[in-house]
Amino acid sequence: MALDISIGFSQDEVPEKAAQIAALDAKKNLNSDGLNFAFVFSTVDYDPSVTLPVIYNTLQGMPILGCSTAGLVQSTSIKTSGIAILTVHSNDIQCGTGHIENINTFNPYQAGSMLANNCIEKYGRHGRAIFLFFIDGLLAGNQQFTKGIQDILGTVFPTVGIGSSDDFTYKDSFQIYQNRILRNSATGLILGGHLNVGIGNRHGWRPLGKPRIIDKVEGNIIKSISGYRASYLYEEYLGDEALDLQTSKGDKMSILYPLGIFVEGNKEYLLRNALSIGDDGSIVCQGDVPEKAEVHLMIGNKETCKHAAFEAAQEAKNNLLGKQPKAILVFISFARLKLFGRTAFQEIEEIKKVFAPDVPIFGMYSNGEICPFQSNERFKKALFQNCSIVVLAIS
Amino acid sequence: MNQLIPIYIKSMLIILAISVITISLIVKKNNRIRKLQILLHKLKRSFYNLDEQAKLIVKTDLELNKAQEELDKRLHGLEALQKTSRLISTTLDENEIFHRLNQSLMTDLDYEKNLILVYGENKIFYSRVSSGFSEEDVHFIISNIEKDVNLINALINGNTFSSANAPKQRIESITHLFDVEHFVLTPILTQNGFIGIVFVGNRSNAPGITEGDEELISILANQIGQSIENARLFEQVFLSHQSLETKVLDRTKQLESALEEVKNISKTKSEFVSAVSHELRTPLTSIKGYASILMAGKLGEIPDKVKKRLEKINMHSDNLVKLINELLDISRIESGRVEMHLEKTNMLNLIENVQDLLTPQFKNKGVNWVTEADESIPELLIDSSQVERVFINLISNAVKFTPTDGSITVRAKKENEDIQFDISDTGIGISKEDIKRLFDEFYRVDNNINQNVKGTGLGLAVAKKIVEAHGGKIWISSEEGNGTTFHFTIPIQPTNKTES
Repeated sequence: MALDISIGFSQDEVPEKAAQIAALDAKKNLNSDGLNFAFVFSTVDYDPSVTLPVIYNTLQGMPILGCSTAGLVQSTSIKTSGIAILTVHSNDIQCGTGHIENINTFNPYQAGSMLANNCIEKYGRHGRAIFLFFIDGLLAGNQQFTKGIQDILGTVFPTVGIGSSDDFTYKDSFQIYQNRILRNSATGLILGGHLNVGIGNRHGWRPLGKPRIIDKVEGNIIKSISGYRASYLYEEYLGDEALDLQTSKGDKMSILYPLGIFVEGNKEYLLRNALSIGDDGSIVCQGDVPEKAEVHLMIGNKETCKHAAFEAAQEAKNNLLGKQPKAILVFISFARLKLFGRTAFQEIEEIKKVFAPDVPIFGMYSNGEICPFQSNERFKKALFQNCSIVVLAIS
Repeated sequence: MNQLIPIYIKSMLIILAISVITISLIVKKNNRIRKLQILLHKLKRSFYNLDEQAKLIVKTDLELNKAQEELDKRLHGLEALQKTSRLISTTLDENEIFHRLNQSLMTDLDYEKNLILVYGENKIFYSRVSSGFSEEDVHFIISNIEKDVNLINALINGNTFSSANAPKQRIESITHLFDVEHFVLTPILTQNGFIGIVFVGNRSNAPGITEGDEELISILANQIGQSIENARLFEQVFLSHQSLETKVLDRTKQLESALEEVKNISKTKSEFVSAVSHELRTPLTSIKGYASILMAGKLGEIPDKVKKRLEKINMHSDNLVKLINELLDISRIESGRVEMHLEKTNMLNLIENVQDLLTPQFKNKGVNWVTEADESIPELLIDSSQVERVFINLISNAVKFTPTDGSITVRAKKENEDIQFDISDTGIGISKEDIKRLFDEFYRVDNNINQNVKGTGLGLAVAKKIVEAHGGKIWISSEEGNGTTFHFTIPIQPTNKTES
């Protein structure tokens, strides 16, 4: 199977120039006939209204999907500024793209179904290998949104979703669909044909202390845990340091000690970062939380996260069932970028230990990852996660 | 009735037995419950203890994380600093220093915004490294920073500012000016004082700045200062060197031109001397001839007084002829017109011949001749008549300055590729000043002996020319009052000079 991958990257200070350099580099190895499509990831310091037209023109109208990010993942480095483009060419694979705007005007389930229908409309009846979607990372109801997708597309192949991120200001993320810059939206891509995808997903945190029960929850806001106001959980363990959770200083703490929700039948706990503490002591989480679930304070560090990255890569490789990957797509929670800081590339080094050194690695830092959990139940239920790393090995 | 009593008793006994069994079972169960309750209590306590330990773990982990973060940052910073220092210290080109810094700051030090401003000759800041700032930003920063006299003075005094340590008001002004949340601003100082600033900064969402960053950037600024100083010093030295080279070239050209002029003059002089000598020799021959005729009485008897005068004319004519001949020799050797008749010569024989020739002089003066020659010295390819003249000139000269009963020693020995000849006397010696000029034409040492003995002042000059024409060297070693030695060498293998 011929699958050509090309990657372009630039962090030229002039946005138009950066866009052009990245796009030209990304189309170097592409053939004119057959299927071409591109992923475009950009940090928010590059104005997409300036860069995207240049990219679109340079790539001559090929299907483009992507989103904003806090950082770009490459084989050799992590960049917190720049534009990265990956183009794929093949005569043996099919793809169908679609998008949905103004998501918050629909219920999440309905929005997910609409996106799936939009994509499948263009895709036809080919065999499906993976559904990949990019969604506004600040939107709620992602779990329902994913269910809406899977109820249309089915669950015999994986559905992976990526939340767009920004420069940690939680204000300015965007999605890219063709030559359009979208917000409050989602874009999707079904891929199939002679394509194999191996998925691996881990986070690296472990439960700590006694289990508690979430008594009351409203969407992504936990009101009380085991009879106490929710924030008491953090106060108990962190003492005065828990006060930092109410300020910007608390970012790191909520990453180091997220909440872990026990999911029946899964090996790993589902993580939720505490975004903030409400005046009433409620914890605002990044993503919905189920009521009556068992919850733990979780603990992790760079070493456990690096090991998780290695395990995710290993799992992706195993899922390829011996086929050699042509490219590795990596989607990493931007919480991990914050945790690793300047040493973020160490996670990529762990992934590189698993695959051949010449396999290109391309990816981005996301705000929320939707992925089948450890593949235990295969692809039946893709869960919305925080702090995780998703490795897709494409062959 | 009586029959019913035993049945009743039996029944009562059975009931009693059942009750006893039941009670004992209940007691047993209660005991188990109590035991289970105790176990549950223990478990609860362990669980509680474990949770308390977990709290301790979290607190320790929190501290460790903070420490590790700072340590990581410092290690990374030190690595980056080492790399950057190595990069900038391996070039002496100021522009290259900033070019390398631009790359290094971007890739290694990981700050979102970097700016290095350096004073130009007009004491105005120029941006040499800039990332994360537009041209307008840089222009805005330069115009504002130059107005902030207090800040500039503090920087001149070597103060570093950072968002971790600076006074609140200063932090606000710098974060506003550079549009960052976290920063380090430090001066670049050289031995000549303040020459610029290094600024690094991050926006609000990026990692904060710590004292480690402050220290790191201060060290980097020092390194930059030193590298710039070295580059500028090198440039100065290079320019001076270039200017010196130009001067040397000019001077060399002048000297070459002067030398050429001297050569031309010398050539003209030689030609003049040669022409004049030839012109003088003809009339002198006539004078000498006529004087001889008169002295011989071929033109009639002449009175004794006249005869004495004629003898003086003859003697002075001889001196004049000798002088002219020597001048002609020098002129010929200098102009290369002299023809060398090279032949293999046994030097010991040559020295013996010279001894024979000069024996009368030695006897007259009462001076002893000593020969100390290495008999194994090879034959030399020389013009023997010319080399004989060298021996005669040097030995005659030695006789002149050696007192009665003194001695003159002639030595000959092999010295590397040459045969060295030494003529040593036990005479009055020569001063250092005179030695320097002794081979100059017409130079005569001013002493009593020279005042009484006539000479042309050309003998040593001729000897030098002959030795050099054979590819050898001649020199003198002498100490006043302790005699003099003339040394000269002739190469064993003839040089090109000799052959020509």
